[in-house]
Amino acid sequence: MRAAVLNLPREDAATKVNATLGMVFFIGSWAMAFGAIFLSFLVLRQRVGVWPPEGIALPSFPMAAVATAVLLASSALLHLAVKREESDQPGIQPLWIAGLGLGVGFAALQGWLWMDLMGAGRLPTSGLYESLFYGLTWIHAVHVVIGLLSLVWASVGLKTGRYGSHRLSTVSNIAIFWHFVDVVWIVLFLGFFVF
Amino acid sequence: MHRLQTLLLPRLKSCAALLALIGLTGVARAQEAAETVNRWGLGEPASDYGYRFTDLFWLITILVGVSFVLVLILIAIPVIRDRARPGHKASFDHGSSLHDKQVTTVISVITFLVLDAWVLVIAMQDLREAYWAYPDGDDEGVYEVQVLAQQWSWNFRAAGADGEFGTADDILSNSELVVPVGRPVSFQMTSKDVIHALFLPEMRMKKDVNPGDLNKAWFQANRSGDFTILCAELCGFAHYQMHGKLTVLEQDTFNEWEQEASKLALAAFDSEDTESQWAWDWEQ
Amino acid sequence: MSGDHIHPEPTSFLSKYVFSHDHKVIAKQFMWFGLIWLGIGGIMAMMIRWQLANPGMPVPAIGEFLFPRTNGVLDPATYNTLFTMHGTIMIFLGLTPLMIGAFGNWCIPLMIGARDMIFPLLNMLSFWTVFVGGCVGFYSLFVPMGANEAGWTSYATLSTTVGAQGLGETLWAVAVFLIGASSIMGGINYMTTIIRLRAPGMTWGKLPLTVWALFLTSVLNVLFIPVIGSAMILLFLDRAVGTSFFTPASLMQGGGGGDPILYQHLFWIFGHPEVYILILPAWGFVCDLLSFFARKPAFGYRASVGAMTAVTVLSAVVYGHHMFTTGLSPMLGESFMLLTMIISVPAEILFFNWLHTLWKGNLRLEVPMLWAIGVIFVFGLGGLTGIYLATIGTDIFLHDTYFVVGHFHLTMAASALFGTFGALTFWFPKMFGRRMNQTLGKIHFWGTIVPLTFVFCLMFAMGYAGMPRRYFDHTSAEWLADLQHMNKMATHAAFLLGAVQLVFVYNFIKSRFWGPVAEENPWEVGTLDWSMPTPVPYYNFKEIPTVHTGPHEFSHPALGEDRDWIPMTEKLPT
Repeated sequence: MRAAVLNLPREDAATKVNATLGMVFFIGSWAMAFGAIFLSFLVLRQRVGVWPPEGIALPSFPMAAVATAVLLASSALLHLAVKREESDQPGIQPLWIAGLGLGVGFAALQGWLWMDLMGAGRLPTSGLYESLFYGLTWIHAVHVVIGLLSLVWASVGLKTGRYGSHRLSTVSNIAIFWHFVDVVWIVLFLGFFVF
Repeated sequence: MHRLQTLLLPRLKSCAALLALIGLTGVARAQEAAETVNRWGLGEPASDYGYRFTDLFWLITILVGVSFVLVLILIAIPVIRDRARPGHKASFDHGSSLHDKQVTTVISVITFLVLDAWVLVIAMQDLREAYWAYPDGDDEGVYEVQVLAQQWSWNFRAAGADGEFGTADDILSNSELVVPVGRPVSFQMTSKDVIHALFLPEMRMKKDVNPGDLNKAWFQANRSGDFTILCAELCGFAHYQMHGKLTVLEQDTFNEWEQEASKLALAAFDSEDTESQWAWDWEQ
Repeated sequence: MSGDHIHPEPTSFLSKYVFSHDHKVIAKQFMWFGLIWLGIGGIMAMMIRWQLANPGMPVPAIGEFLFPRTNGVLDPATYNTLFTMHGTIMIFLGLTPLMIGAFGNWCIPLMIGARDMIFPLLNMLSFWTVFVGGCVGFYSLFVPMGANEAGWTSYATLSTTVGAQGLGETLWAVAVFLIGASSIMGGINYMTTIIRLRAPGMTWGKLPLTVWALFLTSVLNVLFIPVIGSAMILLFLDRAVGTSFFTPASLMQGGGGGDPILYQHLFWIFGHPEVYILILPAWGFVCDLLSFFARKPAFGYRASVGAMTAVTVLSAVVYGHHMFTTGLSPMLGESFMLLTMIISVPAEILFFNWLHTLWKGNLRLEVPMLWAIGVIFVFGLGGLTGIYLATIGTDIFLHDTYFVVGHFHLTMAASALFGTFGALTFWFPKMFGRRMNQTLGKIHFWGTIVPLTFVFCLMFAMGYAGMPRRYFDHTSAEWLADLQHMNKMATHAAFLLGAVQLVFVYNFIKSRFWGPVAEENPWEVGTLDWSMPTPVPYYNFKEIPTVHTGPHEFSHPALGEDRDWIPMTEKLPT
């Protein structure tokens, strides 16, 4: 219906496949980038011997767990939003906005984690643990910011009718990227807080 | 532009000849200028395992040389014989028949066995019997040296008369190392700043010296004399000046030298000078 | 988004020539960009050679202008900057944009029968990202304390704040990151285009081998450039923020605990595939050119594809041979030695296929063919000398000597460069609608291959005689001073080599603007790119062609006497 208003052509199946395929290659490439970073993490962590190091302030586990839950929920909402739109069910906009909101919530929690650790006097220059924690979460945070900007972009497009069930590949690609950001965070969370 | 073309094109051959001439006179001049000392190859190795490098190098050279000549012949024949000319046609062959595949496989396997596998087996032997067969710590004859590299010199430390590292009679030296002939010389090395590499060309020995890690290397000199120490890993702007002298002494002379040097070190020891207190327990 | 429907042709200068989405324009942008950097890198090489032959003498002609502070004499720091930036520029800004940027863009859509790349906007971004990366790299040459001095490998800790204080090293990391991002964009685009936009009938078994090679190159780009990207980010953080990923505890007050060797692993996990990123396109060009000019099908098409694929896969697991003297455990060292030897098998298969393609052909020794045969020659020489370096027993002595310099210049520099020259001279008539001068082309070829072989073979001799690389002045060590005659000879030959490149510059620019108009298919080959009118129209194919025949059906017996080739769009007569 919205498509008819704007007189946009419905994207064909081939375009959708092209876009998804391109995104898959992009994610594969980025997985290698994070793979290299995780490899560095494992190698450096193994050098230290005692992990996490004893006698220093560590980032708060409960807060990180909450952040993980928030990010997971955000990802789930976006997934649901795309699935509903694909089957032409209503409700993509509120779901998408909610997912975006939770994403912002994650960013805020991440910021809190940094402030907390810095407040305890642990700076990126303090040692290897801090190098790894700040460095890796910064790299991840850049992707969070890019992801959030894309989510905003998509929600504007959904509102104006530029995107919708007639043109979904950009929206679903942004969701895929957000899932990827999610997966990377989970690995970071497991590495820093669980194992 | 067109004028330039009419000017140059007929003279292309002379232009090319001129360029070639410039190159050749350059070569001739270089030979003239360098009449003082010209070295082409490597001298005899001064370490027990050094011959292994030379032997393997020339074995590979023969294998590689023969293969390359074969390749040249296989290029030259079609280039001369099968040039395009009126009435001549190429044979139509996709090279996809079973026979072609078999031939390719057989040739590849033979090449691999001759060129690679043979060399591989010898190299494995060399590594296990020589380069990586580090002398045993319990062995009495081993002469142990600790190396601390820095921008841009080599600090050497030998245990001295008491045989213990980190004591007052340790023989310290800078960019000059004295070792005995006929005894394994074992190094443990680390760096103060960036990565260096201890390169003893006459001994055919080279190993990186990494900050934050201990690396080891060894050799056994087979004759006395003065030899070269070089740095082989880029370590900053004076990398090229980070060279030193390795002196190999006969066993008797060496023992005298060691006693004397240890005594001198003891007398010169200054407990205030923390800069020179570096040492670590010899790691087995 | 996709390139299979027609947009109106852009009309403004900016959208047509600067921010163009057209793959052909982007190809030419990459080409000029790469050629200019090739020139800059070449001048740097000349200065390096000058210093090696005449240590302490002022650089002639350009020295006074470039180094006024020292009256034209190179100082050690500047010398280190020169060889560092020579390597970086040649690899990332010269050969990569030329082979992958220019010919990837030119060949892929035209050879597979597509109207454009699948993501034209991404394609444009790819060029402008490498352009910005190049600008950052160029700017870094002029910052206080100079550009990167730590070698193109920039091993930590020489590249961290321990060994390099200035801004140059940081900018270098940023530049490499940007250039890498550009390559990833290109790679994603190429892969998706080749998978999705092949014309009907253009099966994987009918793709020209150039396209196959570019596809595999893209796979390597997409998978391994991110690794250097990550390494650059970590290096950047170490330098700009003061983290300690690559700085061991003993070198830092209070902090530290990192691992300099980790950098080497990350670098070479990328670095070895990078060697194949540079050589695979050249292999692809050679595979096709040999068949085109021998008027004979490419021998063992499937075996060649398989060999290139095997190299692509194996390239990821041989990187340790760059680190034999680092102190790898014996177990790792021996494994990497074995794997490195195994990767020579697919290369051998490719070699036999090339030699077989020539055998009993009908060889037209035009300039592109000379370059293709030149690749066999220099890659043979370079590949065979790789055995010395794969074998730890000989590598211990030869590592970081001029032997290595000779080896990698023959394999990834000369072979890639020859492949590029082959491609440039081959596609020139289609790109610019004009012919290059054949005589000048032949002079350029012979004037290049002879001194080039001489220089790099001399480097093998220097390496065997024990001359370490990256030395500002070999005469400072007594043991190396008696090798100076070789350095002098190499320099004279290198100057000859450099001078002959001016012939190419003259021929290229003159033919581009004033050369005689070329026919539409001067080489008489059947691939889709040559089925097009010159200049190639904005949308390449008015109608997407249907492919019936393979790319290499030369001298097919059914073709009769009057021609020995058949366009891919025609059916073979039965």
